[in-house]
Amino acid sequence: MDEKNKRSKEEKKGKGTPLRVSRRSFLKGMGASAIATAMTSIPAPSLPEAEAALPPGLREAVIALNVNERIYRLKVKSHWTLLEVLRRDLGLTGTKKACDRGNCGACTVLVDGEAVYACSLLAIGMEGKRILTVEGLKGAEKLHPIQKAFSEHGGYQCGFCTSGQMMAAKALLDKNPNPSAGDVRAALAGNLCRCGAYPKIIESVLSVGSKT
Amino acid sequence: MAREFKVVGKKVERVDALERLIGEAKYASDIYLRGMLYVKILRSPHPHAKVMRIDTARAEALPGVVAILTPENVREFALQIRGTPPLVPKPILATTARYVGDEIVAVAAVDEETAEDALDLIRVDYQILPFVLDAEEAVKPEAPKIYPEGNVIQDVTDSINRGDVEDGFKQADVILEERYKTHLIQHTTMEPRVTVASWSGKRLTLWDSHKNPFRVRTDLARALNLRVNQVRVLTQYIGGDFGDKAFIERQHLLAALLAKRTNHPVKIEFTREENFFSAHHRYPTTWYLKYGVKKDGTLTAIQVKLYADLGAYYPLDGAAGSLEVAKYVYRCPNVKLEGYNVFTNKPEGGYMRCVGHPAGMFPQEVHMDRLAEMLGMDPLAFRLKNAARKEDGDQDRKVPFASIGLEDCARLGAEKIGWKANWKNPGTSPGPIKKGMGVAFHACRHGGISSPMSAVIKLDPDGTVELLSGLNDSGGWQKTTMAIIAAEEMGIPYEAVHVITGDTDTTTDTGPPGGSRGTTSAGLAVIAAVRDAKNQLLEVASELLKKNKEDLEVMDGRVIIKGEDKSVSFEDILSKAPSPIVGRGSGKPPQNVALLAFGVHFAEVAVDTRTGKVEILRLIAAHDVGRMINRLGCENQIQGGAIMGVGFGLMEKQVIDGQTGICVNPNMVDFKIPSILDVPMVEPMIVEPEDPYGPFGAKGVGEPPYSLPAPAIANAIYNAVGVRCNEIPINVRSILEGLKRG
Repeated sequence: MDEKNKRSKEEKKGKGTPLRVSRRSFLKGMGASAIATAMTSIPAPSLPEAEAALPPGLREAVIALNVNERIYRLKVKSHWTLLEVLRRDLGLTGTKKACDRGNCGACTVLVDGEAVYACSLLAIGMEGKRILTVEGLKGAEKLHPIQKAFSEHGGYQCGFCTSGQMMAAKALLDKNPNPSAGDVRAALAGNLCRCGAYPKIIESVLSVGSKT
Repeated sequence: MAREFKVVGKKVERVDALERLIGEAKYASDIYLRGMLYVKILRSPHPHAKVMRIDTARAEALPGVVAILTPENVREFALQIRGTPPLVPKPILATTARYVGDEIVAVAAVDEETAEDALDLIRVDYQILPFVLDAEEAVKPEAPKIYPEGNVIQDVTDSINRGDVEDGFKQADVILEERYKTHLIQHTTMEPRVTVASWSGKRLTLWDSHKNPFRVRTDLARALNLRVNQVRVLTQYIGGDFGDKAFIERQHLLAALLAKRTNHPVKIEFTREENFFSAHHRYPTTWYLKYGVKKDGTLTAIQVKLYADLGAYYPLDGAAGSLEVAKYVYRCPNVKLEGYNVFTNKPEGGYMRCVGHPAGMFPQEVHMDRLAEMLGMDPLAFRLKNAARKEDGDQDRKVPFASIGLEDCARLGAEKIGWKANWKNPGTSPGPIKKGMGVAFHACRHGGISSPMSAVIKLDPDGTVELLSGLNDSGGWQKTTMAIIAAEEMGIPYEAVHVITGDTDTTTDTGPPGGSRGTTSAGLAVIAAVRDAKNQLLEVASELLKKNKEDLEVMDGRVIIKGEDKSVSFEDILSKAPSPIVGRGSGKPPQNVALLAFGVHFAEVAVDTRTGKVEILRLIAAHDVGRMINRLGCENQIQGGAIMGVGFGLMEKQVIDGQTGICVNPNMVDFKIPSILDVPMVEPMIVEPEDPYGPFGAKGVGEPPYSLPAPAIANAIYNAVGVRCNEIPINVRSILEGLKRG
């Protein structure tokens, strides 16, 4: 208990070097109020109380995640992000971690059809929502038209931002099947590509639009 | 007569398209092993400080912490970085911190958050030392010494003295002197640095986001006193490199040592912030240019002095890499280049796309633009008058260029943008939003052919091919390019080639994709390996067909008898061959010839004089690629390189606080790389001069496109609004201030 109090005090002091603005410390530092917010946004979860071994302010819960039309039941800590859980716990590593700060869009997935950054959502708040990752984009046999277009037009180079680009493109095309180049730019503005494949990404997405 | 190609130059889908597009490709950061520990690194918050005492007791007591390494634990290991003697090798953990972010302690724990918590419990006492952040300050005698030997590294290989520069200035009618500066930036690969290490018995396996697995393997084995074959490095997919992931690094040794010590696999994954602090950087430069020209536009003298600020450690001769730009692209009899590699208490300089050229291209091409204006000449005509010709070649070594498409690049690009009809004198565009056009010329020594070169081809029973190439696919379509070359030379469909890369156990060292050498160097080895395999096929076929080898040839997956209707399939030959057919290929760089790739960019911009905002309307990127092997890959490299170059010229700058030495914008919001909203549809133009050396005549194209946009856009901005900037990135503020100055 003493150790725990000490640690919690240190966290409050915000110590550590100026080099590490740790997202975890940040999430932990948000403390009980943020967790409570996250908790209340979940539809009627059956959450066990905080476990003795966890640092103050954290909880664990068993949740059901609907990812790519499959239901995964798993235990998560209250500050784990959707991105961490997808990659580390579910092995769905097609969704990439590039900044872990909501800056780059590499981790874009669809939640109930909206393109969102998986690094900026808590897994615990995802119960009852439909999550689609790049692994669920392809059908049983055939590539999704977006994947086919990226392949045919070469809309990628290193491929690390590509799942995010394609998911953002899907969110766009689902709402607007025939987007203009300007629409594509606007919809993909939150998805950085350091290889600079942008011209071919635009061509890829436009080609899907014109086919439908 | 132009050769007809079956696959070369055609639009093909990538050989690894499927796994990259369905989320199956495992990058190093995607590796999660059973029982894996996570490593976090304690970094110096001071730009220059001596580590006096480290207390890890409280961190060790934290449940979940498995091992801690301090400098004391790793004293016997060091990174021997090329070019460092007579300096001390870089220690694995620093006892003297030389920049903010220098690694001091490493912690392995059961999860990332425990490792992070442990860092907060470690106490380090530092003796703060004076620091210096600016290269020109660092060379002064009174500057704090970052190393006992001083702050200047005395081995700039390209400091040259051609002709007599003083004589050249005497002949000149116009002499122009200016100072220019370029800035610190970070590669910002989408995948930060990451290493996973795992021991099995006496063997170490490393998964790494790295472009040169062979270098990591050899250097790691040497550092750990292992045999080379005790180390396997896997780098099949990497989320961008751009030069950052080229050397052996501290994290490789730390991961190997911690995995050994704990008997668990370990993962070291840099956060985005850590990448900004502690990965490599494009080093800042300060330039003094003095060029002399005659009234008719003839260059008579080029004099350059350069300070390259390599930061706290020294992995490369950065000054030489930058001075190069003044050597080739223009003919000039009198050239004096002088450079200094300087240590400062800043993050580590390193390779970044086109290495020193972007930093050198900006000053030179802006300087050329100024000279053209002083002479009253069209900037394109002025450049063409001085542009090197094939016979000029390397004017110091006195060897000709292998081929040169510089004038063709200029001519085609000028036609496309309508230079003749649309280029107007600076500042003459009407209205508050002014348009302007600019141009820049480049000769890139990268793009040549260099050792090592090797490849292995295995023929499978059905006549398909496995190509084992050590050329890593860093995202530049390298695997696909190698498959195209193999298929073309073998005369089989492109789909019948399976390429294996990124594994030191199964492939052979052909050097990294870097310096635009991949297509050329590794490609020549692939051709040699295919020829070796074909020769073995012909030997077996000659017995089967009862013909001399000379009467046979390989065509479309069969061996045919020349002039006859008779043939035998690869499949039949392979089923009757006494032993498997394995082709080996190697190669040597050609001597007594200068292998360069050339490029010319044209930019058209619109500058809003009320807001200072620059919009790039068109960017035409004409490149001499020798021969285009892989159409989509080539276009992607040109467009992507140019877009990165736009970021260098207009957007990106890593800001180091002068009072503390701390980077204040270590994230992808405040360090602005181009987004899809910031860039035009870059228009690639391919120029293919006859080149006798590369595979099917190809040259490299990965790097040159990066070097041209900054000066082409800077010149277009001047042409639009009459504002000259001697420093990049050119942003809203530099333009508004320039307009105010008038």
